[in-house]
Amino acid sequence: MDDIKIVLTPKQKAGSWLGSFGLIAILLIIFGFFSLTLRGTYFNWGNIKNMVSFSSYVGIGAIGMTFCIMTGNFDISIGSMLALAGVLGASAALKLGGIVGVIVTIVVAALLGLLNGLFVTKLKIPAFITTLGMLFIFRALAYIYTNNNPQYITDRFWIFLGNGSFLGLPFPIFIMGLCYLIAFFMLRKAPFGRYILAVGTNSRAASLSGINVENVKILVFTLIGVFVGVSAVLNGSMLGAANPGMMGDGYEFQVITAVVLGGTALAGGSGSLGGTLLAALIVVFLKTGMSNAQVNSYWQQVATGVVLIVAVSLNKLKFWLLGQAQ
Amino acid sequence: MVKFLKLYEKIGIFILIVAASIFLAIVSPNFRNMDTILSIIMQGSYGAIIAFGMTFAITSGGFDLSVEAVMGLTSVIIAMLIPSLGFAGSIIIAVLASCFVGFLNGILITKVGISPLITTLSMQVILRGASLIITNGRQVVISQKSFMSIGASKAFGFLPMPIIYMAVLFAIFYIILNQTTFGRHVAASGSNEQAAKMSGLNISLIKTVVYILVAFSASIVGVIRTSQTLIGIPTMAPGFTLNVLTIAILGGTSLAGGRGNLIGTLFAGIFISMIYYGLNLLNVQIFYQMLAVGITLLFALFIDGLRMKYLETAKIKGIRV
Repeated sequence: MDDIKIVLTPKQKAGSWLGSFGLIAILLIIFGFFSLTLRGTYFNWGNIKNMVSFSSYVGIGAIGMTFCIMTGNFDISIGSMLALAGVLGASAALKLGGIVGVIVTIVVAALLGLLNGLFVTKLKIPAFITTLGMLFIFRALAYIYTNNNPQYITDRFWIFLGNGSFLGLPFPIFIMGLCYLIAFFMLRKAPFGRYILAVGTNSRAASLSGINVENVKILVFTLIGVFVGVSAVLNGSMLGAANPGMMGDGYEFQVITAVVLGGTALAGGSGSLGGTLLAALIVVFLKTGMSNAQVNSYWQQVATGVVLIVAVSLNKLKFWLLGQAQ
Repeated sequence: MVKFLKLYEKIGIFILIVAASIFLAIVSPNFRNMDTILSIIMQGSYGAIIAFGMTFAITSGGFDLSVEAVMGLTSVIIAMLIPSLGFAGSIIIAVLASCFVGFLNGILITKVGISPLITTLSMQVILRGASLIITNGRQVVISQKSFMSIGASKAFGFLPMPIIYMAVLFAIFYIILNQTTFGRHVAASGSNEQAAKMSGLNISLIKTVVYILVAFSASIVGVIRTSQTLIGIPTMAPGFTLNVLTIAILGGTSLAGGRGNLIGTLFAGIFISMIYYGLNLLNVQIFYQMLAVGITLLFALFIDGLRMKYLETAKIKGIRV
């Protein structure tokens, strides 16, 4: 597409503008608004660094979800996956040290993702319902394993990953950057990215052109696990504990919001990692702003729901303007 | 295999119930008296009633994840209004408000074109927030004791009221789904939306009514539960949506849409309640119930997946199903 000069109608121009600059505009508006109203408590270098660092929690998990939604599927078990991988990793760390704990967390999450992928592809059940069942199973297992006791993380290496800094910046920012670099490479430079797009656009055509659709999907669900595992490591480190009940509560919602807000079409076939990253920042900037402004947490909850609906509607509008709607 | 799966769709849930009954009758002497059985059916009625609505939603090709939040909303509205309006008035307003939520779901799904997953998931978060705002995060105690008669009394001295509500709603929903044009239209829009649209059905209207029905059934259970505890609870029944979906799918309603099985739903509701009863006998923690429901859902999905797979091959081979 890039080498062909396309003349856009004004409508399409508006649509593509909405896609590329809309998110940056929203981020700047939110940041500007809270900076003006809250001044020093919001607009300072320390807070900005912290907000970007916090956004790794949603941002890293959202990478896998972007892939998944691009193939036209969903995974809503990730909050519980985060908790189960977190508690298992934390308890491993107590016995075998932090490095083992971190590896266990990521490997467990990847295996849980693989399990999801196998269920979805082999049984041909819609992903959302399989993963809804898994949401409860993973959470129940996390409770049962810990007997509802938080697993404390005391290992210095693990604590450093989420709280240390490097070159004056919080360490999670580097981990998030690395994750996005790898993901970007996979999506844009490796065949895997094309396969994902092909499966999302037209899974039957993809299968007829020789792509093993099932394997692509299994890989996507496993990747969700890997990224959720990384997120669990950082989240556990920041909180200093893995709590079977609270860890990852509502995580799937925040992550799906970020992905959809980032411009990935729910129907699959298109999406952008840059958009997802910006959207993860927007979610955190907004949340921090509301908390700093002492907005009632129940109102915040309502706001998160409304944001998701508005984000999807805006996406619809964008595709309608671009003339890609059916 | 096709025959077996067709048969399962019709009677599978009965086999499960009979097996569970025999098992429970052996391990628990208490199970063999009428009160226990009625109490199990009553416990199952809450999930079953909402699952009637959910069966409609799944038949129409969608589903609703906001039902547990609708229960909470109903509970809160009743608790806040009952001092000024009395219980009849507050129930009517709570149920109407819930129906409006269903209407909103329907509009967002059909007119704005947002997928049922995103719409109802967001609605759940929004309603939970709204319920917490209404009561300011507290649980509200209801002082009118007479309100308790709605959910906690027994007809003829032995039959718990929720069972009667379940029976009445089952009859109504069954007639709507199987005996009316509207019911056929719901199935048509679920089995092939494009075709249904071309034959002149107003899909938006049909689906919107379906989501109103789901919210209505959830609201009824909200009323019953609130009446039993006499407390308005904004965070009522966390995770109950999974129970409801499990019941509907276990009952033989296919996720592919187009086929609703309300009789199966009714008995699946009772079956899930039997599982809970059995787990209580074992004295295990509540987490195991979560685990059991999740695994039951996966089992039901497994059967549903097998059925779809074999029906597809059967179609290709030209076997009439």
